[in-house]
Amino acid sequence: MTRWLLHARVTLAARVLLGLVFVAAALPKLADPPGFAKAIWGYGLFPAWSLSPLALVLPWLELACGMALCLGFWIRAAALWIGALLLSFCLALGINLARHHPVDCGCFGGSIPKTDAERLADMRWSLARDAALGLLVTHLLWSTRPRAAEPSSPADG
Amino acid sequence: MPSKLSATPARMLALAGLAGLAALLSNALLPVSRRLPWSGFRPTSPVAPPGKVAPPEPPTPAPAPAQPLNTTRPAQPVAVPTPRPRIEAPPPPAVPASPIREISGPEAWKAFQSGQPFLDARRSEDFTVGHVAGAWCAPVWEADLEDRLLTFKASRRPGPEDPIVIYCSGGDCRDSHLLAARLLNEGYFHLLIYRDGFPDWVAAGHPVAKGQP
Repeated sequence: MTRWLLHARVTLAARVLLGLVFVAAALPKLADPPGFAKAIWGYGLFPAWSLSPLALVLPWLELACGMALCLGFWIRAAALWIGALLLSFCLALGINLARHHPVDCGCFGGSIPKTDAERLADMRWSLARDAALGLLVTHLLWSTRPRAAEPSSPADG
Repeated sequence: MPSKLSATPARMLALAGLAGLAALLSNALLPVSRRLPWSGFRPTSPVAPPGKVAPPEPPTPAPAPAQPLNTTRPAQPVAVPTPRPRIEAPPPPAVPASPIREISGPEAWKAFQSGQPFLDARRSEDFTVGHVAGAWCAPVWEADLEDRLLTFKASRRPGPEDPIVIYCSGGDCRDSHLLAARLLNEGYFHLLIYRDGFPDWVAAGHPVAKGQP
């Protein structure tokens, strides 16, 4: 069962897909940090002093990790960061869904004006998407786990 | 593989450091309308989620300076105090009941006709596309807000009790509330938030201008 999951081509596809998603998510935020800061503020979870550093550094971290995955270097480090980011995105979305507080995801930059019901529906989809991407991260981490039996593996190269 | 295990945290740190360095560099190179102040925002404290910004209380007037108590000095022959000329304190300005109040479209139009200043809290690129004629650009999320507010104050010289109309995009836009909270902190306490914002202004056919802030 797990043999085909750990096939080199499947792992490559998962890695490149995950990398491309994060590169695509980073670019619009890099182009407009104030818009991303406003999106983070909308979640109502972060103190005022943290908005600028988060809005400035997070997109670059997404881009660096996405590029690392696409190009195939520092894969475990990048996958761990992406896993942590996805976990925090899921938490932020989940908390706001639990308190029925509609927010613009801000995941891929700005969005068109929406009703509260549309926002809540989008948040559920975003949560499902982040969970699916989390599965890809788990797959990557599993396929690149350090194994004592194999003296050299190109995975974390 | 101990070397591999220890390499991963170091590489994670390197990725974070790379991101921080790139953020520093890019924030310095981006145009000012796309920059962020690293020190964060001052409009509200603590940051409240949209829809939860409570109307702040008006600032209480400073108490009158009391006579200093002289408790340490030994008792001395007290000279008969000469009556000093009584200085009449100026009456406190008429403070509206609520320093931040939402107004409707007709009220905003009336304020426009009476020449009250309008502040546009939206992004500067939205301001360029169209804004209330004569409005001042004060994008609450952009790094040069401080300078823009200074320019506005230097030009209009609004007194603390003078009404200032603030607007953004209407609906659930909270930028005008953030700007109002900031101006309240700076001592302005007659702030009128045009609730339905610029889309309502355009729909009512009121004067609109375009161009750079």
